[in-house]
Amino acid sequence: MDYRAIAEQVIKICRKKGADLAEAYLVSGRELSLEVRNGQVESIQEASSYGLGLRVISGQRLGFAYVNDFRTESLEETVNRALNFARILTADENNVLPDDPGLTEVKGLYDPGLAAIPMEKKLALAREVESLALKVQGISKSSGASYGESETEIVLASSLGLLKSYKSSGCGFGVGVIAEKGEQKSSGYESCQRRFFSDLKPPAEIASRAAEQALMMLDPRPVKTQRAAVILDPDVAYAILGGIIQAINGERVLQGASFLGQKLGQKIASELITIIDDGTLEKGLASAPFDGEGVPTQKRLVVDKGVLKGFLYNTYAARRAGVKSTGNASRGGFDRLPGIGPHNFYIAAGEAKPEDIIAATDRGVLVKEITGYGINPVNGNFSGGAAGLWIENGKIAFPVKGITIAGTADDMLNGIDLVGNDLDLNRSLTAPTLRLKSLQIGGE
Amino acid sequence: MPDEILKKAIATALKRGGDFADVFVENRITRNLLLEEGKFKSAVFGLTRGAGVRVIDGDKTGYAYSDELTEEKILRAAEVASYIATSGRKIQPAGLREQKRPSFITVKIPLQEVVDARRMEIMKRAHEAALSYDPRIKMASVDYYDEIRDRLIANSEGVLLRSSLPLIFFIIQTLAVGNNTSHLGRERLSRHSGIEMFEELPPEKAAREAAREAVAMLEAREAPAGKMDVVIQNGWGGVLVHEAVGHPLEADNISRQTGAFVGKLGQKVAADIFTMVDDGSLPNFRGTTDFDDEGTQMKRNVLIENGVLVKYLTDILSARQLKMERTGNGRRESFRYYPIPRMTNTFIEKGKDKPEDIVASTRNGLYVQSLSGGSVNPTTGVFNFTCREAYLIENGQKTVPVRGATLIGNCLDIITRIDAVGNDLDFGPGICGKGQSAEVTAGQPTVRIRGITVGGTKQRG
Repeated sequence: MDYRAIAEQVIKICRKKGADLAEAYLVSGRELSLEVRNGQVESIQEASSYGLGLRVISGQRLGFAYVNDFRTESLEETVNRALNFARILTADENNVLPDDPGLTEVKGLYDPGLAAIPMEKKLALAREVESLALKVQGISKSSGASYGESETEIVLASSLGLLKSYKSSGCGFGVGVIAEKGEQKSSGYESCQRRFFSDLKPPAEIASRAAEQALMMLDPRPVKTQRAAVILDPDVAYAILGGIIQAINGERVLQGASFLGQKLGQKIASELITIIDDGTLEKGLASAPFDGEGVPTQKRLVVDKGVLKGFLYNTYAARRAGVKSTGNASRGGFDRLPGIGPHNFYIAAGEAKPEDIIAATDRGVLVKEITGYGINPVNGNFSGGAAGLWIENGKIAFPVKGITIAGTADDMLNGIDLVGNDLDLNRSLTAPTLRLKSLQIGGE
Repeated sequence: MPDEILKKAIATALKRGGDFADVFVENRITRNLLLEEGKFKSAVFGLTRGAGVRVIDGDKTGYAYSDELTEEKILRAAEVASYIATSGRKIQPAGLREQKRPSFITVKIPLQEVVDARRMEIMKRAHEAALSYDPRIKMASVDYYDEIRDRLIANSEGVLLRSSLPLIFFIIQTLAVGNNTSHLGRERLSRHSGIEMFEELPPEKAAREAAREAVAMLEAREAPAGKMDVVIQNGWGGVLVHEAVGHPLEADNISRQTGAFVGKLGQKVAADIFTMVDDGSLPNFRGTTDFDDEGTQMKRNVLIENGVLVKYLTDILSARQLKMERTGNGRRESFRYYPIPRMTNTFIEKGKDKPEDIVASTRNGLYVQSLSGGSVNPTTGVFNFTCREAYLIENGQKTVPVRGATLIGNCLDIITRIDAVGNDLDFGPGICGKGQSAEVTAGQPTVRIRGITVGGTKQRG
């Protein structure tokens, strides 16, 4: 199917039916996913699919309709639905579409060879990572290994003359294992995602990390409820970054629903903290030449040495705030209106070696797992469940499970006194090892 | 979809062998309106359709789907799914026979007959009620969603079923600002129902409830940290057992021998007063359907009875693997997914205690009025929840509100520590995620759990 032609055809229909502005966002692609357990194939899923989301603006009113049926009569029906829906809404002068025809050049988004790699090779990768993990002493069961890949093409056309598209790919594999000791069960999981098949890590590395995670948490000991240092492993970066991402959402800021809303230009974190949002990173998992409504992406400094430098905007929220879009319109899929979201979002690397951070800590916990919602974007409160390794006198002493950590965003961000040099930019939401001087830990 | 194509698709799916095949055809029409900051900001209309073909061969599943409902594309999906079969076993598919299942969903005013103005009127009523509740409510957001989901299921056992189900999901959020802090309150209403849902569940009442939560929590103090007794109010709080106990009881964890409840069937796993049920046949509930996404009849399934584990939640595959009955829990988000064991309406059965007596007999602890949600590791049984609205219990009295703390524990441990179960069973609607999303309700009467770890910021004296 010629998707560019379909997108243009829809825009034409919109014009004919009297829309002031129209935008078609078409997503097509294919996916493959397979699961292996105990060396046997457990499932294989394969499919191609497509869908189109249509935004129309008529009299400053916004209507949206989506469809995955591209026959002409269905497309006509979709346009009618969107226009009819627009009529009943509230007029809003901020309902506009972007007109920047530019594309940001981003390298390494698409692996043209991915589809041609034989299925056997992909199955073998899942089988191998599982068998290597099961060979590690102390690992008793597999909870399954998997391989998945997808290719996506985005086409965006609008009545302002935009016609942009790009292709991207992604692939990844992972394994889950269980270590049992008496009545104890401990699980570990590790995976690797990349744009290119040839960039995937060796299965031995993934297998040994999954096994290590399960094994290191055996024989945990309880700890008392206390205040102590908290070291966040890069695996739990979300606990810090998730709430910040929502709190710098430009629309949320306009609504007064962000704890960072009044903090622009102010110090919100330790000066060791610099946060970057980068839509242009080569081979980045969240990179793209344009955002979810066609605005070219950029690399931006969000927090500079602890000072909040900017919020994230799509076209609507930017116009409302009297600024320019930052290229942060996000789309959950063809069936969603553009929202606001980050690209590759990370805390810049510091200078400390992770092992030195541990050595410099008298008493505290190296957190390997955090559960819960992270920092509350509205009021900045944080509370989560945690598991990890207890540290005494600069050394790892024993594993701890079933503890909580809690504080406020202010305590956490300003309390960061050591930043690791171990940033992994192969993840889209990432941070180096961070030490928070002192937080409340809930235990026995 | 003509029966002929379905028959051909099943035959094609099984041509390389296999034990079972099915075809799932879906057509979904959705409407979503957003009223926020006094404006009807957006309206989304959606039309998606497609079909998926699945083959089960021993423990293996092959799956493929198509957006296009043409014979060519459906047979192509069947062909792709068929490659999974390598056992050499062959079956003869049974002839398709259209069946009827009793429906647990009744509709008075079908969504198809409702004009958008009526939906918008309901939204405005909620928006107005929220803003007029208290001057500290600075913003309200009303999200209205409805859908009509048509399903057709045909399988190699000869089952042929069709159904069309409406669903409404109504979410109101309220932002309260004051006392140097902010809180976002929330209330959700959802049923498989026509628009008459709002006669029984008035939108104004939901709005006032969301506003009440937001304003109450402006006074929240630091929550305590550490182990304490926790009383959880009736209703959506049942999400705690949904996560902590329900997920580990889903039979895919059991057939893989990885779940926390493996080998515990028939054993005493919980306190005597604890009975837990999953019931996909509760009239018009959000987790109810007339049959699951594999065509199995919905019914009441008692999972834990007076503390004894009596049943796991199965889909067709796990029921075959474990040689257990099909419980009607094979569900899928859409035709883009194959079914897996999922909960429907899951709850703790009501007990005998009066809720006020449960609080009065708790010397000190935490009273959780509502929970946001949480998650569980089904292998280890370690779970976590975040409180939306919670209060201290001091000397048997519910006293001051405290900030949203996390509750954590282990599923095998927690259900032995429930020592009071109220007589006030109630439910709340929600979304459950397990790689794919599902509509569920969670329910419980007021319960007390002795000794659960609370993630507050305040060290107790």
